This record gives sequence, C-alpha cells and structure tokens, in this order.
Amino acid sequence: MSGSATRDRRESFGDDGGARARILARVTRATTLRDRLRHPGRLESPAPPDPAATFVKRFTSQGGEVATPDPDRSPRDWLTSFLEGLGDDVTTIAIGADVPTRLQPRSPDVPPADAGTAREESPGQLHYLIAPAVSRNSVEPMRHVAPAAQAAVGVSLAWGAVAETGSLILPSTGTRAVQLLPPVHIVWVPADRVFARLEDALIELQPRLPAGVGLHSGPSKSADIGQTVVTGVHGPGRSIAVLEG
Amino acid sequence: MSARIGDYATRSREAIRNHPEVRTAVTGATVAFDEKRRRAYGEVDADLWRRWAEAVKNHLLTHLGDYLVEAEARLEANGAHVHWARGADEAREIVLELASRHSVRSVVKGKSMLTEEVELNPALERAGIEVYETDLGEYILQLLDEPPSHIVGPAIHKTLEQVQRLFADRLETDPGGDPDELARAARGVLRDAFINADMGITGGNFLVAETGTVALIENEGNIRLTTSLPRVHVALVGIEKLLPRMSDLAGFLQLTSRAATGQSIGCFVSLVQGPAAAPGDDGPEEVHVILVDNGRTDVLVHEHAWEALRCVRCGACLNTCPVYRQTGGHAYGWVYSGPIGSVLDPGLLGLHEAMPLPFASSLCGACFDACPVRIPIPELLLAWREEAQQQGLTPWKERAALAGLANVATRPPLYRLAGRVGTRLGAARAARKLPMLGDWSNDRSLPSPSPRTFRQLWREGIK
Ligand code: SF4
Repeated sequence: MSGSATRDRRESFGDDGGARARILARVTRATTLRDRLRHPGRLESPAPPDPAATFVKRFTSQGGEVATPDPDRSPRDWLTSFLEGLGDDVTTIAIGADVPTRLQPRSPDVPPADAGTAREESPGQLHYLIAPAVSRNSVEPMRHVAPAAQAAVGVSLAWGAVAETGSLILPSTGTRAVQLLPPVHIVWVPADRVFARLEDALIELQPRLPAGVGLHSGPSKSADIGQTVVTGVHGPGRSIAVLEG
Repeated sequence: MSARIGDYATRSREAIRNHPEVRTAVTGATVAFDEKRRRAYGEVDADLWRRWAEAVKNHLLTHLGDYLVEAEARLEANGAHVHWARGADEAREIVLELASRHSVRSVVKGKSMLTEEVELNPALERAGIEVYETDLGEYILQLLDEPPSHIVGPAIHKTLEQVQRLFADRLETDPGGDPDELARAARGVLRDAFINADMGITGGNFLVAETGTVALIENEGNIRLTTSLPRVHVALVGIEKLLPRMSDLAGFLQLTSRAATGQSIGCFVSLVQGPAAAPGDDGPEEVHVILVDNGRTDVLVHEHAWEALRCVRCGACLNTCPVYRQTGGHAYGWVYSGPIGSVLDPGLLGLHEAMPLPFASSLCGACFDACPVRIPIPELLLAWREEAQQQGLTPWKERAALAGLANVATRPPLYRLAGRVGTRLGAARAARKLPMLGDWSNDRSLPSPSPRTFRQLWREGIK
C-alpha cells in the first residue's frame, strides 16, 4: 500500500519544494516502525426509540423550538399565520431556494418575486425574498446575501433530522445565507426523514453530499463573555423546527 | 504564536501571585466544563466510545499515508484544491499566494489552533489584509493582542469586567453592559466583516478520507458563516486530523462534543466537501485545503509520543488538570497548553524547546480518565522526562524530583503507599509534590484528582 503513497504525481501549486512527496515519505517511514492496527468497525451505540419524539425532546432541550402545524390547514396557510404571529416588526422573510411553493408563506399582495432586491413595505405586512435557485457561480456573488441579511426570518427546508443529537440537516442546495443570517430560522423537516442515529443519517446522505452541509442543533450560543450563555451571537437566536408530512 | 516555554516556572508563579483573577476565572470555567463532561460521559457508554475512538485513530495513524492520498483524491474529485505544507513558513506562503491571487483585502477567520501555530494572522496583516477573528472569545483576544489560553475557550481567563472595559473602550458599549449587550456589539462589527470578506479561513476538526469532508464543530455559527459567505474558503488541517470513513465521523463529532463542552453535539457542525459546482448548489467558488505537517511527522516516528497524535483538541485534559486550573494556558508559553501541551509540544517543537513542560504535572491521572481518545498522558510525560534526563536537559530541581519518583517507583510497596496517601489526602497534598510550584500547596480549592492513582492506571494497561 505504501507504493501508492509515494507515487509520482503533479505537485500542487505552492508546493515547489516537493512538500507532498516529502511528507508522504516521512509518514510512510513512520508507519513501518510499528504494527498496522485494525479498524474497529462501527461504533455500537443504541438507537433511541421513537425518533420523532426523541428529536423533539433533544432539540428543545438544546434551546431549539418545535412548532406543530395545524392539520386542518395547508402548510402555507399555517406558516403565513405563524409568521404574522411573530410580531409587527417581522416584515421581511427570506426563503431558501429549495423551499417548494406549498411550503412558502402566502404573500398578501405581491407575488413571491424575484428577490434580489428588497422593497419597502408598510409595517405589519409580510414581504418575501426568495433566494435565486442558482449557483453562486452563475449569478452576482452577493446577490442573495444582502437580502437575507435584512430579513427578520429565514425559511429553509431540511434534508432530514437526527434524534440522537437533536440536529437539523441543512444542505447547501438550500440557501446558506437564509440558513444563517436572519435572527429567526424556521425549518421544515420531512417527518419521514428523522433518523434515529447520526451515523444512519450521514450514511444515507453520503452518496448525495452537496458542497456543504450544516447540522444545526439549536440556536447560536456563546459563553465567551464571563462564562454567561448568550444566544444569537452570529447565527440565528431562535431555531424553530416544523415537522411536516 | 512563537514558543517561549523556557521560563514556565517564573510565569506560573507570576500568574498565581500577580493575577489572582486569572486563577479565579480559569478555575471557575474549567470546573464547569469538567462537570459537564462528566455528566455527558455518564449518559453514554463512554468507556466503549473511548476505546472505539482510540482504535479508529490508531488504525488511521498506522495507515496515514494511504488515507492522506485518499483524502486528497476525494477532495480533488469534489472540486477542492489540495496543498501540502511541511512547515509554518510553507503554510503561510500558500495562504498569502491564494490571497494575492484573489486580490483579498479582508479575511474572516474561524477559531483554529493550527493557524495560531503557524502564526498566520501577523503574516496576513503584514500583507495589508484585514483579519477578523470571528469566534467571540478570539475576537476579544484579537482586540487585546493576546494569544488564546485554552483550546476550546480561548478567553476563559478573562472576566466579565475586563470585557466590559475593553468593549466600552473599543466598541463604545455601556461600561456596565451585560454579556448580551456586549455580544450584540461584537456581532454588529463581525456581521459586516462576514458580508464584506473576500476569504474565509478555518481549521478543521476532522477530514474524512472516504468523502473528502472537512468537518468543523462550533456553537456560535461563525464557522458556518466563514465557510459559506466568502468567495474563497481555505481550511488548514493537520495531517493527523483525518478519519477513514463517514461512519467514523458520526462517533467522533459526538464524542468530541461531549468531551469538550458536555453537549451531545456542538450547536453547529459544518461539513465541507468542496466549492459549489453543481447548478442549484450554494457556497464558495473555491475551496482550498492545506494539509500541514509542521512537526507532526516527527511526533509520528517517536516511539511513545505518536499516541498524542490521536488528540482531537477537546480541552478535557486541560479542564480536569489541577495544574492547568491554577495558571491558565499562558504560563505554558505556546499554543497547546495543559496536559496535552506538555506531551505534544516536546514532539512538535523538540524537547529542548519545550522544557520543562514534561515536569509540569503531578501525574495524578485525571487527564487520561477525561481523554476521549485515551492518550496515556501520564505515561508520555514520564517518557519525556526520561528522555530529558538522558539528554542532560533537566535542571537539578526537576532531576531531584525525578530521582525521587524513580526511587519510589522501583520499590513498589513504598510507591503504592505513597500513591494511596496522596489520593486520600486529595490534590492539595499531591500538589506539594510538584517540582517547581511550591505556592500551590497552600491552595485549598484544588479539585480532587482521579480516584485511581497513576500506578493503578498503569497496572490496568493504559497503554
Ligand atoms: S489529549 Fe485528549 S483530552 Fe486532551 S485535548 Fe487531546 S483529546 Fe482532548
């Protein structure tokens, strides 16, 4: 196996001193000094029972919130009144690029529009900003960052959730700025994709990994000032999961 | 942060005599961390998890070349660029070259001990680049121009009053502002920095070879932002940070979080595979991973010290250490302090440079009990002491202490007795045996050491 480690290849940029070859040669020499030890296989940890209930328990114990949609109303109607209930100062909502229309709030008079630019709205009226569903490479880089930074609430769609750790799994095929910048983050979670264990979720996700994945397990926290816990330091101060379907 | 370890004893005494607030702050924070870690270990089969993690890292370290090559290939397949740096100078050069190629004027950083180790910030600043540390603790220290004193809580040695004064002075907050108000002020400055930065720089807790995934654990969300908003993301990763498989990552994320802060997992975990390349994906245009050696291969060839490369930098050994709790991290004189610093620094810097750190321990064994990857720190300390003695590096005081220890160790009944007495009387008594820090023995607030003596641990085969 050590042959592959030292095989000749193009050196990366910045590597004119042959750093790669030399590091690998030293590593290979070190590994000849002792027995090669075996991988122990999977960590056997018990799967928590009833993943959905365990997720709710863990996520809330970590400071997250869980909202339950009204089964008699459509998800979008429920979300619209939920947002209105957040207060008069909540007027600007940023919506992730991968949130399907049926999970987007209803817009009172403006159609959910091209969102690159923010518009003035009268207080109390929801205003929607939908992140463009395109890669950063093909649009102007900061296009959806600026609007998301102005929004009071971000709405995202999770790929799934984990009971064991109370985590939401947020893929970068959503909109990262929407997942991170608004002070309140509302996350739809497909109820049939709450995994018992983190390992189960990561293995399921492995063949379809996007550029980035965020595990969000409650609101942003810090105890760096005088050992006192404060929330909403950089990321969202409120993280609200909504199990759907 | 350049190493200045030699006058450890003087700095320790100074810290204890002249800065009682440091001891109060550090002891308070570490005792709290340590209690949370114990509770979190109690919720799972910690013994099984730790043995598993130890075995995964041992497998990794004895197959490291293969996994480095696999990680590189996966990252490149994901569209990321991979660079290799033998030393601090090469690591800095690579970052500076990338910064100049992208006309970078402003950088946001996530907390990274490796970037401290290679002294990246001063190099960026000399190149006229604005650098923002975005972890709240690191930001405080950047304003104060101080190095971190703890690998997880970099500013735990600072009191609320000190931060109030600093922020009132620099950010014009109310001098009596509460932590919420102070954090809001910092958030305001750093929010602008995130939105305007051209480059994000982070370390990496793990790098999964199988998928080319750089994994980062945090609580504030600043690392998520650093790896998401700027056009270019650069991650500096020590070559020992690899994990073979994605399934390993699940266990390591949880175990590391439990060991560090007692959480089942950090509030935010970033899994970075590469740049946003596919249509509909969002993220940086370029991702660069710099694989850094900087002394790690020297540690890897060392007969004993190689085991310290299992370290996941959770800080649990610092939190539980009666010696660290007294002085905080600055006394140790380099990036890695506390028990892990005392065994890693001699390997990374050379024993001569790191003297007398291997002697800064009472060998109480608490660090081994806390360590999620079961690094036999007391045993490694003894190995370094022996090496120091052979090289004639030990000053007389330490040699006397070492001779005393060797003397009882060769007479088992006496040693057993001495060990048991030490444990029963608690750490105040054990501290009196510390070679250089007589002042500590007056302290009554020392935490209890491991209920097992080092000798018991040894007999149980901590190796
Ligand atoms: S030596 Fe062990 S306990 Fe100490 S920081 Fe490293 S992993 Fe954590």
